[in-house]
Amino acid sequence: VLHTTRALHTAQQRLAPLPPLPEKGGEVRYGLIPEEFFQFLYPKTGVTGPYMLGTGLLLYFLSKEIYVINHETVAAACILSVIIYGIKKYGSDVAAFADKLNEEKVAKALSVKNEAIKDLETAIEQEKKEQWRVEGCKYLFDSKRNNVAMLLETNYRERLLTVYNEVKKRLDYQVAMQNLKRQKEQDHMIQWVERNVAQSITPQQQKESIAKCILDLKALSKTAQAAV
Amino acid sequence: MNLSFFDQFTSPYLLGIPLILLSVLFPALLFPTPNNRWVTNRLSTLQLWLLNLITKQLMIPLNKKGHKWALILTSLMILLLTINLLGLLPYTFTPTTQLSMNMALAFPLWLATLLTGLRNQPTTSLGHLLPEGTPTPLIPALIMIETASLLIRPLALGVRLTANLTAGHLLIQLIST
Repeated sequence: VLHTTRALHTAQQRLAPLPPLPEKGGEVRYGLIPEEFFQFLYPKTGVTGPYMLGTGLLLYFLSKEIYVINHETVAAACILSVIIYGIKKYGSDVAAFADKLNEEKVAKALSVKNEAIKDLETAIEQEKKEQWRVEGCKYLFDSKRNNVAMLLETNYRERLLTVYNEVKKRLDYQVAMQNLKRQKEQDHMIQWVERNVAQSITPQQQKESIAKCILDLKALSKTAQAAV
Repeated sequence: MNLSFFDQFTSPYLLGIPLILLSVLFPALLFPTPNNRWVTNRLSTLQLWLLNLITKQLMIPLNKKGHKWALILTSLMILLLTINLLGLLPYTFTPTTQLSMNMALAFPLWLATLLTGLRNQPTTSLGHLLPEGTPTPLIPALIMIETASLLIRPLALGVRLTANLTAGHLLIQLIST
């Protein structure tokens, strides 16, 4: 906490933090009288000094009737005993409660800081991971490029095959047409020749050729017999 | 000096100087001033916790505009609490047993609430004079009664505090003997 807020502007403004609170409060004896009083009287009267002072004062007030014992004295004694009993019994609990309140306040602020630190650390880790991923991107792109090239190649080859098949089909057709034509011409010619020959063979010629064949056969049979 | 039971209700005078102001202001000394630290000592922490508790209880039913009453109501509550509790100790004087002080507290606060209500929402505040669901013939009589009760309210508040404290402290004294 800074000194920028100061009561009635009595002190100078200072931007340094306040000094921390001391760990324990001032020493008191019997919960009421600070230790400094006893130390103050110690050089003159020793250890029993303040007690003698207290006893003397009390006896003086009582004897001179400056303080009269009446019903309120009894009331005061009762109230005092109840208060002391209450403090002895519940004092530490109340102190622990107050300490817990303070601890919770400090812990809440600390948790904010710790959470912020944790969030930043996770962010750093994620950033590192992203960087590693970027390094690996190179290989990723290479493999993707290879894939694309392969696809293109395959497609090209398929198309080439298609073209070749189509062209072959057309050329086969032409070849088949030509062959058919040749065949038809050949058949037609053979038939024409056969027809004409069959027509040209007159019966006279048929008899002469048959007679000649018989003569040839006879001649051949004579020579054949000799060969066997 | 022989003390009777009613001596605790006499306004204290020292050589003719009225000490009533001192006895009203004295409880303020018992609370440590909250310093500027964030983490304070135990007493300050407990005091702060108590203040937060009381303010929360007072301010939760109110909307944002009503929160400007927080300071006066909380400080009033703490003052009355301390004054009344301190009066239980022997040889102490409780200022709130004096009717004058209670009327001085009651009249301005009551008047403030009345005027604030009349100023901001006049129809609603006047409408409060008639409870819901009253049969029609009773309306004039009821309005008179509600107005009378409204005007009597500060007297009632003041006397209520006085009587409660006086009777309570007296009763405690009686029982303790």
